[in-house]
Order: sequence, then structure tokens, then C-alpha cells
Amino acid sequence: MQNETVNTPDAELRDRLAGTWLTHELDQSARAELARIGRLVRVPAGSILMREGEVNDVMAIVLEGRVSLRMRVPERGQVSIVTIEVGDVVGWSAMVPPYRATSTAVALVDTELAQFDGPQLREAIATNADLAGQLYPVLLQTVARRLEGTRLQLLDLFSQRWVEPW
Amino acid sequence: MVSAVEPKTYFLPRQDLAKLLDRLHDGGRQVIGPTIRDGAVMLDPIERVDQLPVGWGIDNAPGKARLVEQHGSRVFDQPPGPSSWKRWTYPPRLTEFAWTDAAETDAAPAPRRPKPVPAKMAPQAFLGVRACEIAALRVQDKVLLEGPVVDRDYAARRRDNLIVAVECAVAGGTCFCTSMGTGPEVRGDFDLALSELDDGFVVRVGTDAGRAALEGLTLPAATSDQTAAAAASVARVRAQMGEPLPMDGLPDRLMAAAESPRWAKIAERCLACTNCTLVCPTCFCTSISQRSDLDGDGASAERTWDSCFTLDFARVAGGNFRTRVEDRYRQWLTHKFGTWWPQFGSSGCVGCGRCIAWCPVGIDVREELLAVAPPVAPAADPPPIAPVAPMPSIVPSALTLPTPTAEGPRPMPWRTVEVLDRRRETRDVITLSLGTDDPGLLAGRPGQFVMAALPAVAAPPISVSRFHPDGLELTIRAAGPATAAIVNLERGDTVALRGPLGRGWPVELAEGRDVMVITGGIGLAPLRPLLDHMLARRDRIAHIHLAYGARTPGDRLYVDELDRLAASGVIDVAQTVDRAGPEWLGRVGVVTQVIDRIMCSCDRTIAFVCGPERMMRATVDVLHERGIPDERIWVTLERHMDCGVGLCGHCQLGRYFVCKDGPVFSLAELGPAFAVEGL
Repeated sequence: MQNETVNTPDAELRDRLAGTWLTHELDQSARAELARIGRLVRVPAGSILMREGEVNDVMAIVLEGRVSLRMRVPERGQVSIVTIEVGDVVGWSAMVPPYRATSTAVALVDTELAQFDGPQLREAIATNADLAGQLYPVLLQTVARRLEGTRLQLLDLFSQRWVEPW
Repeated sequence: MVSAVEPKTYFLPRQDLAKLLDRLHDGGRQVIGPTIRDGAVMLDPIERVDQLPVGWGIDNAPGKARLVEQHGSRVFDQPPGPSSWKRWTYPPRLTEFAWTDAAETDAAPAPRRPKPVPAKMAPQAFLGVRACEIAALRVQDKVLLEGPVVDRDYAARRRDNLIVAVECAVAGGTCFCTSMGTGPEVRGDFDLALSELDDGFVVRVGTDAGRAALEGLTLPAATSDQTAAAAASVARVRAQMGEPLPMDGLPDRLMAAAESPRWAKIAERCLACTNCTLVCPTCFCTSISQRSDLDGDGASAERTWDSCFTLDFARVAGGNFRTRVEDRYRQWLTHKFGTWWPQFGSSGCVGCGRCIAWCPVGIDVREELLAVAPPVAPAADPPPIAPVAPMPSIVPSALTLPTPTAEGPRPMPWRTVEVLDRRRETRDVITLSLGTDDPGLLAGRPGQFVMAALPAVAAPPISVSRFHPDGLELTIRAAGPATAAIVNLERGDTVALRGPLGRGWPVELAEGRDVMVITGGIGLAPLRPLLDHMLARRDRIAHIHLAYGARTPGDRLYVDELDRLAASGVIDVAQTVDRAGPEWLGRVGVVTQVIDRIMCSCDRTIAFVCGPERMMRATVDVLHERGIPDERIWVTLERHMDCGVGLCGHCQLGRYFVCKDGPVFSLAELGPAFAVEGL
């Protein structure tokens, strides 16, 4: 499996970012800054984008395709935790110390990503308060949604543990 | 039930009370009246005057009811005891239906089916009915006779009642009929009304039947002094009760106090013993349990009084809606004084005070009502002894419930249907295809349900998962003995169904709109007929999105069917599971993560949602974020149901009975009642 980095002009990546849920509300200059440090990457189905526990230095936004986040349970093997759809983030751990992946990310189908180098993005945010002020809230929203979804999964709402009179 | 005639007032000398009792017995009538039993005044069959509580009074207070011997000849100087007339009109235990063999033919043995067991009883005279108790009978009449479904046993027992009322001459320490506007004066709905004086009774005639009961007694007309003495006596009772409680706006005040910390304080004292509901003359909740003979030949369903204070009252397959005592106390008080109004047009309380006297820890509803829902602005000059005015309805003007006669359930017998096919959906879910030509069953709407009965196990409510021209399908998860028995039926077996019941999905509202169908687990079953309906009219609906969540890939229902639908492109199908191994290439995550990415024209989208209530709550939050208003979000609710027609009380949710007013509601209809803990 070979990842393919597509050489795209900044303007094209900027326009693609305008079409995603995560970044469409960012203003032009913020999207332009992201496009400057980002790259368009295509990966075939089965590609591993990051591995649980390893240092993660890439954050990406899914532009096409679907990515599975998995965790390893010794007696059960790889367990799928959540599926990342178009517009959502893979690898937010690249933005938060200790910059280690909390799960393994596997492309379920041929997938296209807007990929950002973690240290470079952190540097951009550290020096560009306007970008930070726009990007952090949507990143936090992404993590919050994932947390809420995880809680609902944790409730195991569709389980049937009780034996009832009927 | 009684035809009013010009009242006329007579005087019955005390020594002639026995003659009146004899006349009441005429025609084989059974006379029920107060008597001393088990250290209390109970309502039992009365043959002789000396069985009445002659010379007895009661010392009544919160948590206290003690007989006091007064050594006089007066008969009716007691406030109500723990027994009420519902003991006779709505017995605590009766056989609801028995499984009988239908007429057999030579061709084949006929299947067994449940048949109602009619009430067999002599006409009854109720002697000593107080004003508050007449009001209580009216309240139960409204519930059991005037709803979309009539309780046949109650109707039979009420048909020939002769009501001999007695106007109270003493007020108990727990009486508050003046607050509820029900007494102490006896004003109507009686055949005869007695006012006890020291030397006899002033007798008012209310109906022809009452007049007939006096025939042969040759009573003198009451003198003006006697009628004045009777009026003064009841006026003293009114004065004894003091100032009425401030009842104005009480239903709204109570519902606004749903989150009051007082409920938890009450729960620290409340034992959830159910006494208050069992002594209450209007509480009507029942449970149905199954009985079978040891030889296995006979089976019947027995109806018993139940109470919203029992732990199992709100239990469903998968959980319990009222686990805390404070939830159950709130349910009782808010129903009795609040949501009874929009349901039945009156308060459910008549102010008899039984629940106060017979509460073992002396919880006083008069005190708790004021603490939980205090008057907004205390009246500067409250009318001292005026009856309460009717309370305003708390039903919002936007309510869109159909009238009972338009769409609600109607009385319907059990129908026996045959299992034509049995299909396994998951490891514990089966779909049964049932054959029937019963037009009632076949006329069901998407979202309606049936009660499904087999001998000797409970009859659970089950959503219809598909309607066919010659039958229907039920998709059932084995969650307990009854559903396990149904799931284990084989081809050729029979099962009895009653229905279709409840209000289904508002299918007509989907036309011209984008539709989101959002569901999880077995919640897809009641939505399947809705999908069928929309697919049959596909050209009238814009986009249809189905978002379906399951626990694991193996827990998904109708897999082939959904795959075919998805492949056809007729609707968008998005499936997700809570957990999966690496072999699953579909989505993992909760259904809310699917719907917050669906592209739709949210200004014209209508959403139909079914699943566990917590899942629906999360779904509704996302739909709100996407700008879909409450009026266009429809959910179907699960509640404990024993009857399916609004009579057993289990499924009450705020001002609704989920079985007959729902199970499908819009969020706008449910308002704050949706997904509230303990409601």
C-alpha cells in the first residue's frame, strides 16, 4: 500500500477545506494558512494512518472515504471504536501533548485526506492567534462530539440484560 | 344512570331505619353499607340495622384513625374509613378473561382464545355514600365508562346501583372536601339522601328509583325545623374543615414544580407502602396476572388493583422509568391533582382524606401540596367557604391529539391468528408472519401495536412490524417468559391478538418533505411499516434517509432487506454499530454521529425516531442543532402496558396515556415530559 501525496496548489486545497464540516466556517485567511501548511493525500483501503500508542505527528481531515479508529484488546484483538466520516478529524492527538495516538487509524476504503504536519500546525497556531482562535473551537467541538458518542456507546443502550415479566 | 325528579323531603324516624333497610333489600338487592370490622368502619353487606356503626365515631388525624365509642344512637357520625365504594364497583381482584375452547368442528380442533368473564351479581344499594364519595363515583365513571374503551365489568356493576347518600354531620381531622368542591353537602347523583338528626333522618328524594324505595313507608314530610336542622348540621361540618386550600391554578403549579427538591424530602418519609392509593376512592390502576390450573387445562387472566408506588409499576423490558420513591410520589400527586384535569376534566382527588389518615407515617397531601406548589400570590381575602371554581386546563392550545372517537382504540375482542412463518433476525429476535382475515387487525396504521396473548403468560404489547393484505408481522425479542413463549411459536401455532392499538405515525405529514427515519436496536420494527408506507408513495416524498444503529453487526434487523434498499438507491440507508471487530467495514459509532452529517433541507425535514429513550434524547439534541423544530420530530415511546386501552394506568406519562394517546407523539406534544428522569 502506497500513500500518494498529490501536488495541489494551495488554492485548490483551500477550496476543498471550504467544503468540509470542520473548516468551512473558518475565514479565508485561516483556510489559506491551513492550505499553505497542508497537503492532499490519497491512501488506499487498508492503509494504517497512525498506530495506537505511537507518536503521532500528523493531523488530517477526511475529504473522501472513511477511516476506522481501533483499539487493541489483548484477548479480543482489534476492536473498532468509531468510524470517521468525511469532514471529520483523524489524529487530533497531534495537537495535544503527549502527541501519541490514542487509537489505530485504518482507511476502510480508498480515502482522501487533507494532512497537516503536527509540529508545523502547532507552530502556526502558536504564532497566529487568529488561526488559533478559529481552529481550536472546532477541534474542541470534534473531540466533544466524539466524547459524547463514546459515552453513549458506553451506556450500551441496545443491550438486553434484564429478564422481565414479559 | 339516574333520572332526576323534583326532590321532595321527608322525615324518617330513627326507629323506622330498619324498614328503609328492608325496602332497600326488595327485589333481591344487596345492601352495602358501613359496619365495624377489623377495628375500622368498612363497607360490607348489611342485613340489619345493628350491623351499622351505631354509636361509633372515629378520631381521625394524619396517620391515625381510631374508633371511638360514643354510646349514642347515631349511625353515620364517622368520616370515611379505609374501605371505599370502588371495593364494590371495581373489585380489587377479578377474572378479566379465561382461555376457552372455541366451538370445535370435525375438521380441526378450534384454537383456544381469551373470552371476557362477565360480572354476575345482584343489583346493589349503597347505603351511607358521602358527598365526596358520590364525587369519587363520578370520577371513576368518567375514567371507566366515558373513555374510548368502556370497562365492561365496571359498567355492569354500576348499572343498577341505588345510591343512598348520607350528608356528613361530623368532619374528620383529615377531611378537605371543601377544598376540592365535592362536599360536605350532598347535591346530586343520589337516589335518596339522608341527613341524620338526633331523632331520625331528613330524607331527600333524588330519583324515581329513590322514590320507589320509599314506597310503603308512609313517611311524613320533613318540617321546616327539621330541614333547617339538617342544613345547620352540614354547615357546621363545612366550618369545622376551616379555610379551603388555595387550589387556583394548582395543576400548572404542580407541573412547574416537577424538579422541586421537596419530592426527595417527602421520599425520606414515604414508605411506598401503597396505602394511599389503595384507600383512595378514585385510584383505578390495575395489573393483570396470569393463572393456570395445575392440570394445564385452564388458564385465566386476573386483574388486581395495583399502585403507582410499587417498584414494578413502570418497569419495562429493559429498565424501569420510576426507580426512586420520589418519582413515584411525584407521579401520584401530580396525576391526582394535576394531569387528571386534561385527561378527565376534573381533579382526581375528592378530598375524602383517606390517604392522609391511612398513611402509616402521616404524610398529609394538604401540607405537601402547599409545600411543593405554593400559591403564586396568596389571596388577600379568600372566600371562606366557597366551593372551588373549575381549574383551567393545562392542555396547550397547540395539542394535536385526535379525539378518541376519531382515531383512538375502540373495544375489540381477542382474535386468534395462525403463525404462517417464523424468521430469525438475530440470536434473540424473531419475526413471525401471522395470517388473519380480520378486517380490524388488517386496518392498522404504521406505528400501532397489538397485545399478544398465550395461555398462562402475560400479554405483552408488540409493535406491528409489517402489514400484509392477509396478515401482519411481529418482530419480537425474547426478553422474558411471555416474549420467549411467543418467540418459540412454530409454524401452524396460534396466538391471540387484540388491536391494532394506539396512535401510529402521522404518515400524511411526510408528503412533500425530506424524511429522516432514525432508529436503534429493535426500534426499527415499529418504523418498518412507515418505511413500507412511504416506499409505496415514493413519488410524493422528497428524500428519505434511514439512520439505523445496532449494538453489533449481528444485532441488526432485516439485514437483507436494508441492503437491497440501500443498493436500490430509493432511500439513503446509513447503518452504524456500537461495537465491532476489524472484519466489519461499515460504520462504528452512535446513530447521532450519522445524522449530524446527513445532508438535508432541514427547513422541510420531518424526523421519525424510535429507540431507547436515552438514544432518542441524544438524537433530538442533534435534530434541534440542525434546526428541526419539535413539531416535526416524532418519537414512539415504550411504557409498561397491561391493557393497551388506557384503563390500567401503567403507561401514564404526564397528561398522556402512552397506549391510547400514543405511543407516537411529537416533541411539541410531549413538551417537558420527554425523557425526564422518573416521569
